This record gives sequence, C-alpha cells and structure tokens, in this order.
Amino acid sequence: MKRNTFYLLVGIVALIEVGIFWLSVEVERPILIQVAFVLGVILLYAVRRTIEERMEDERTAMITQKAALRTLEIFWVAFFAISLGSAVVAFSRPLGLRPPHPGPPGTAPPDMLELPFIGGFALFQMALLCLMIFLYVGFRVYYARKYGDWDTDEEQD
Amino acid sequence: MKNRIKVYRAMHDLTQEGLANELGVTRQTILAIEKGKYDPSLELAFKIARFFGVTIEDIFLYGDATERK
Repeated sequence: MKRNTFYLLVGIVALIEVGIFWLSVEVERPILIQVAFVLGVILLYAVRRTIEERMEDERTAMITQKAALRTLEIFWVAFFAISLGSAVVAFSRPLGLRPPHPGPPGTAPPDMLELPFIGGFALFQMALLCLMIFLYVGFRVYYARKYGDWDTDEEQD
Repeated sequence: MKNRIKVYRAMHDLTQEGLANELGVTRQTILAIEKGKYDPSLELAFKIARFFGVTIEDIFLYGDATERK
C-alpha cells in the first residue's frame, strides 16, 4: 500500500468512528464506540505494516523516543495534579477523612457521585488526552526539525 | 562530527535514495547524517563503512581528526 492511500484510510476510519460515536450516544450503548475504536486502531496498525515505502529507521525511532519521553515528563505532572484534585473530591465525602458536614440537614455533599458528574470527568479525561496528543505532536515536530526531517538539498524533487 | 559520505557517494555514483535503500534507512536519514544533524548508531556507521569498503575513520571525522584530514 502507498503511504497516501494509508493516510486516506486513516481519514475514512476516523469518519466512521465519529459516526459510530454518535450512534453509540443515540442508542446509549458505550460498548459500541469502545469496541469500534479498538478495532479501528488495530486495523490501522495492521495496515501500516503493508506500506511499501520505508517510513521508520533508527533516526525516526530516536525522534519518537525523545518526543514520547518529553511528553511523559510533562504529562505526568499535569495528570498527577488533576488526580490529586480528584482524590480531594473523593476524600471530601462524609465517609472519607473529613468529619461529618456541619451545615443544616440536606446540604451535605452526596455519598455517591452523580452520573453527570462522572460524565464531566470523562470529558476532563478527554481534555487531558488531547493535551497529551498536542504535547507529543509538538515535541515530535521539534525533534523532527532538529534531526533534519524537513531539510532539503539538491537531490530534492 | 563531520563525515565524507557525500564524497564516497559521488565516488560510487550513488544518490541518497540509492544509498538509503542499500542500507535500509530513509533518504532523510542519509541527508541528516550528511548535513551533520544526526550522528548514526555504531551499527549504521559500520554498515556505511563496509558498504563503501573503507574503515569508519575514513568516513567519520571526530574532533581533532576534522582538522588533520
């Protein structure tokens, strides 16, 4: 398979995933998009192996490695900070470390997280994931430029 | 670290693409090595030297050797 055909396939798979996501929301079945997403990624990984043109070697592996490491170095701090906030929310329940709520009856925080609240966490996780992707792409571009990915010379078409 | 890959490529009448295919790397990697933006692994350095039938020191010039050559 040619590289451009692969990129076209990535676009098509992404569109299908968006469609399945909305279908999943409509029928209220999260498993649909979860399974579809995993299958989509497996399909793309499998097809990527069939690309004829060589795309990876020791230099690209090093660029990927450095970008991933830098991303991890920053992301874990952000992720840990968010997780600490979540832990505070969890421990703020009446059954947690905090003493019973001193206010009038009925004003104490609920024992269970409500569904919309959990949904908010899901969106927050998505936002964190987007942050990770942006960080990775940014570092990938930086190191690719540093190690001559877009350099040209007289042999360039 | 400087290198003389471009010279040896010219001597063997090879393009970057051709050399890259022979060595199993991308053309951009050969270009990056030639421009001094990327230092190859020891394995790739040996592959390059063996491909041209010379020693690593003939192709890669480290530190003071750059001035002596």
